[in-house]
Amino acid sequence: MFENIPGEVGLVHVGERIRKNDMYVELGGPEIKEKFELVKVRPLEDVHDGAITIVGPDLADMDSSKKYPLGILVEISGKELEADIEGVIERRIHEYTNYIEGFMHLNQRYDIWVRVSKKAYNRGFTTLKYVGMVLERLLKNELPIIERMQITFYTDAEKISPVYAEAKQSYETRDARARGLTDDDVDVFYGCALCQSFAPSHVCVVTPQRYANCGAISWFDGRAAARIDPKGPIFPIEKGECLDAEKGEFAGINESAKKRSLGEVNRVYLYSAFTYPHTSCGCFEGIAFYIPEVEGFGIVMRGYRDITVNGLAFSTMADSTAGGRQVDGFHGISLEYMRSPKFLSADGGYARVAWMPSDLKEQIKTFIPPSLADKIATEKEVKTVSELRDFLIKNTHPVIERWKTEEDAAAGEHAGAVQVFSGGDFPLTAGGFKIIFKNARIYADKVVIIPVQPKKPGTGE
Amino acid sequence: MEHVTDKGINIRIKELQSDIGFIKDLEISVGNISREKWAEPQGPTPFPTITSLREWDKRLLARYQPFYLPFCDLCCLCTYGKCDLTGTKKGACGIQMPAQQSRIVLLAACIGAATHISHARELVTHTIKEKGREFPLNPGGLAIEVEAPVIRLVCGLKPEKLGDLEPVLEYLESQITVLLSAAHTGQEGNHIDFESKVLHAGMMDQVGMEVADLAQISAFDYPKADPDAHLVDLGMGTVDTTKPVILVIGHNVPPAISIVDYLTRTRLSEKVEVTGICCTSIDITRYTAKAKIVGPMSWQLRYIRSGIPDVIVVDEQCIRTDVLDESELIHAPFIATSEKNCLGLPDRTHDSIDAIVQDLVSGKTRGVLLLNPDMVGEVAVRVAREIAPVRKKQGRLLTPELIIEQAKECTQCKLCRRACPNDIHIPDCMKAAGKGNLSMLAGIYDDCVSCARCEEACPQDIPIHTMIISSASKATKDETFRMRAGRGAIQDVEIRKVGGPLVLGEIPGVVAFVGCANYPKGGKEVAEMAVEFARRRYIVCTSGCAAMSVGMYKDEEGKTPYERFPGSFDAGGIVNVGSCGSNAHIAGAAIKIASVFAKRNLRGNYEEIADYVYNRVGAVGVAWGAMSQKAAAIASGFWRLGIPVVVGPHGTKYRRMLLGRADHDEDWYVHDRRTGEQVYVGPVPEHLFFAAETKEEAMVMVAKLCMRPNDTSKGRAIKLTHYIDLHKRQFGTIPDDIPLYVRTLTDVPITMKEEIVKILNSWGWKENTIPDPTLLSRQVRKKER
Repeated sequence: MFENIPGEVGLVHVGERIRKNDMYVELGGPEIKEKFELVKVRPLEDVHDGAITIVGPDLADMDSSKKYPLGILVEISGKELEADIEGVIERRIHEYTNYIEGFMHLNQRYDIWVRVSKKAYNRGFTTLKYVGMVLERLLKNELPIIERMQITFYTDAEKISPVYAEAKQSYETRDARARGLTDDDVDVFYGCALCQSFAPSHVCVVTPQRYANCGAISWFDGRAAARIDPKGPIFPIEKGECLDAEKGEFAGINESAKKRSLGEVNRVYLYSAFTYPHTSCGCFEGIAFYIPEVEGFGIVMRGYRDITVNGLAFSTMADSTAGGRQVDGFHGISLEYMRSPKFLSADGGYARVAWMPSDLKEQIKTFIPPSLADKIATEKEVKTVSELRDFLIKNTHPVIERWKTEEDAAAGEHAGAVQVFSGGDFPLTAGGFKIIFKNARIYADKVVIIPVQPKKPGTGE
Repeated sequence: MEHVTDKGINIRIKELQSDIGFIKDLEISVGNISREKWAEPQGPTPFPTITSLREWDKRLLARYQPFYLPFCDLCCLCTYGKCDLTGTKKGACGIQMPAQQSRIVLLAACIGAATHISHARELVTHTIKEKGREFPLNPGGLAIEVEAPVIRLVCGLKPEKLGDLEPVLEYLESQITVLLSAAHTGQEGNHIDFESKVLHAGMMDQVGMEVADLAQISAFDYPKADPDAHLVDLGMGTVDTTKPVILVIGHNVPPAISIVDYLTRTRLSEKVEVTGICCTSIDITRYTAKAKIVGPMSWQLRYIRSGIPDVIVVDEQCIRTDVLDESELIHAPFIATSEKNCLGLPDRTHDSIDAIVQDLVSGKTRGVLLLNPDMVGEVAVRVAREIAPVRKKQGRLLTPELIIEQAKECTQCKLCRRACPNDIHIPDCMKAAGKGNLSMLAGIYDDCVSCARCEEACPQDIPIHTMIISSASKATKDETFRMRAGRGAIQDVEIRKVGGPLVLGEIPGVVAFVGCANYPKGGKEVAEMAVEFARRRYIVCTSGCAAMSVGMYKDEEGKTPYERFPGSFDAGGIVNVGSCGSNAHIAGAAIKIASVFAKRNLRGNYEEIADYVYNRVGAVGVAWGAMSQKAAAIASGFWRLGIPVVVGPHGTKYRRMLLGRADHDEDWYVHDRRTGEQVYVGPVPEHLFFAAETKEEAMVMVAKLCMRPNDTSKGRAIKLTHYIDLHKRQFGTIPDDIPLYVRTLTDVPITMKEEIVKILNSWGWKENTIPDPTLLSRQVRKKER
């Protein structure tokens, strides 16, 4: 497949670092302003299949002491191809060029940074055409829907400018589309069953506004993967009838969940952590956990090493979240989902989030409605649920509105959700005294419940 | 499913009148409720007996039929014997060769398991004495929810305190007794049943190891599942020979801790070097970064004969039984500390420390037995400080002139080479040395396992081993390495993180380099293999002597693998879990995958979890220098869990392999849990126990054995990439069995597509489905509820 390319091409070379002393030449990188890689879908007639062009000096003409601009423009055409797939294919440039022995590719889009090693150059890797050939063969091999492909490398400081501008424009258009695309705009979601190899009853539903729990697969990725490998683990799900727009329940998803889980999961609410929440395998990035005392959510990501505000660590709660089950109030999520307007939207979204680690808050602050930013507590402000309550009251977090309505309801009768111990079980055994509690609140960090053993006959008392 | 455990409870009482009091507007809020009883339902086999898992064993053994390599054709265990068992002959009791071989394997596995279990008992008793039964077990703080996966799985218990380990130990001890009794003449007679008992012994061993390490991690405050555990000095060159030097050898750390504590208490830490060989040294460096590791078990003679240690303290396991004689030859006082290893020494446990110190320093006694670890610290330190100025590091190394002189005595009878387990060309080296050229002799230092059988074989009494290490003394001084201290368990969170990369095909598998140092060509091969797999972004785990060998290697920048690769359980990490007993954490990580991803219940649920691990977790153990009975037991524990083990060429002396038959299609069907259909999945993993002749063969086999029936296409593609790439690099060809491992065309590595599709076509390959695999028919899920 790569006989005519000097050096090896294979996955084993991924991760190869080329240090300054071993480097023949550097292209792109932090000191070069104009660099890019871009995939564009073009009309069939505009693509001259197999053409690899270098605009500017080629490797052999380069001066080792200098750094060069680099643009990689991959133009493709095919009946099945659509613009939505460009970004997905573009990310393969990084993957595939790194297969080349003696070729290092870092970052993506307008940040690319390439080094060619002295060894590779001396072995005969003297032209970027080889990079083009590798890209062309691998991309076409993996994506047979690409009918034609031409690749152009720009290394000339002058000539790269207009194409660089086009690239920048393309990224912006693409991002705007991704940001603007809502679940309502599409008819098809994607299911991902990759994790079933470890968690057999779990299937992720990937929508434009709900990333896969692992954070690795967007709706666009799903779309591309399902096209490329129709028999593969990522498959389209027709939304079907919308049964509940607020909670995000769709007939097509229910049907798919039922089929894929063999009846374990029959209904799914995409935007809620309650009743029929979306399931998780084990590789979710974070957990939205319900804190009943404040009727709001805490969020914790898997890198958080301390205990959270409810006294439990990530690993403890993760145990209740994983395994393809629907567990009320323990909800596996991806970081990307927290950037979505649909984030727990049925439960109130950010207006329902009471606590999260400060690092996370910093990371997603632009996605938290500004009016709420200061009302969500972190480990820096509160350590316990009681402190959290005080914090929420002090900062008039919207969840406290819920307490009032709850209390109103409870005034009449005990609300169904509230568990009640009978007075007889209450372990106050102060003999001879009458203890009167008035408006008392008791908080316990931990209560141990020991089953009461029936007394054996004849053992006294 | 009960899931009350994690949820909070709110209680509000408007008014309550009872005989104890009057309550008004009471609100009770509970953050965390934990029940005294473990909520997870008990599985089918808590505390399994020796036959509880027999059906599972038979399933495995039907695929991997024992292939016996008799080390000896005779049985001489009873007075009927010796009985010749060659061919199909029966012995006087009726036993035949397969049963006899598996019987010996059972004996070895029982010895190994008993050793770990008795060590665990020793540690639990010691730590309970120090900390009490209520002392909490804590292998990883908040990062670990499943604190004792093996104990949960096998025993159905969730241990929380040191005292909770005692019933586990009682169970293990009872099982080993039963297992051992099965090897009596006229008991078990069927080799498959013997093999099933071997697997049971292995499982007991794994539990025993977990008990021991949980106790010591918790009580001695070792690194707790910390990927960034500190780096420690490793190698003879790191020892400061200007100071008094104490050497500890063995596996039981309390006497060594007593030494370190005494030094701290008396503010002498900077004045005395504490050095160790074998697992005691690993464990003492988990306790303090100040202690130093000299090297694996095979460094005993080298280090002692160098004369550097001033006092030698031994505890238990893998200690040369002539170490007392060796210490005497360098005039280093000797302290034995284990009731399992008394070496004929007088028990001075109840004498005054002053008297013991005096007798050891004056040479009145060459050694003492001290059965109370707490007194070892003071005795060893005081003796070391007093004797060091007298001894002046007097060793037995020879000058070049003396080596040449001795070499001239060689008659080229070649008995040394015949005695050498690695067939090292000693006679040639002697010839060159006799002519004044010592470089050949020095050159065999790395390949030598320091058994000193050459010296025993030599009719001329030439001190061959001493000559080898003397000629290599410069190399010895250059042994300055760094090793990451044993971190213990794997965090639940780390396992969660690798889930994605595993299914997305970014991590090809988990490879564990474990075991002893009986290497065919030196420890460097272990380091090279570990680096190769870490570079290929496998998760590499290691422990015990193998963990040291991994560290005794530097790249071109002078960095050891522990400095070059992170210590996290992640792609490209090299994870040192600790001493050989810490191997339980590697099994534990595989078990936890089932709990973390699939929420399978672990409690007393061995068969289901082993089936999960076997069919899904691409893990392989490599015991390149496996020597001991413990190593045999450790391997057996991994087999029962469905994890294949590759050993070096000396591993054939364990007498049998467990080899699958890739050519028997009928052996490689599984149930598809979704449909109930039988699906051919190919020979994955092909073998359960395999001895490789060379490092190259081992690496190719490891890559191949990482494949599992559940692999996603992306996962299979990356596994195949490495298998094929390694095969090409080591043997120059594409392996001839690729079509067995390709289920759909998307399994084919993209960079090799053209050539592989050509091969597939020439084989008449047909596409197959990827099932939800299980060997257990009861695991097939029924459609709808």
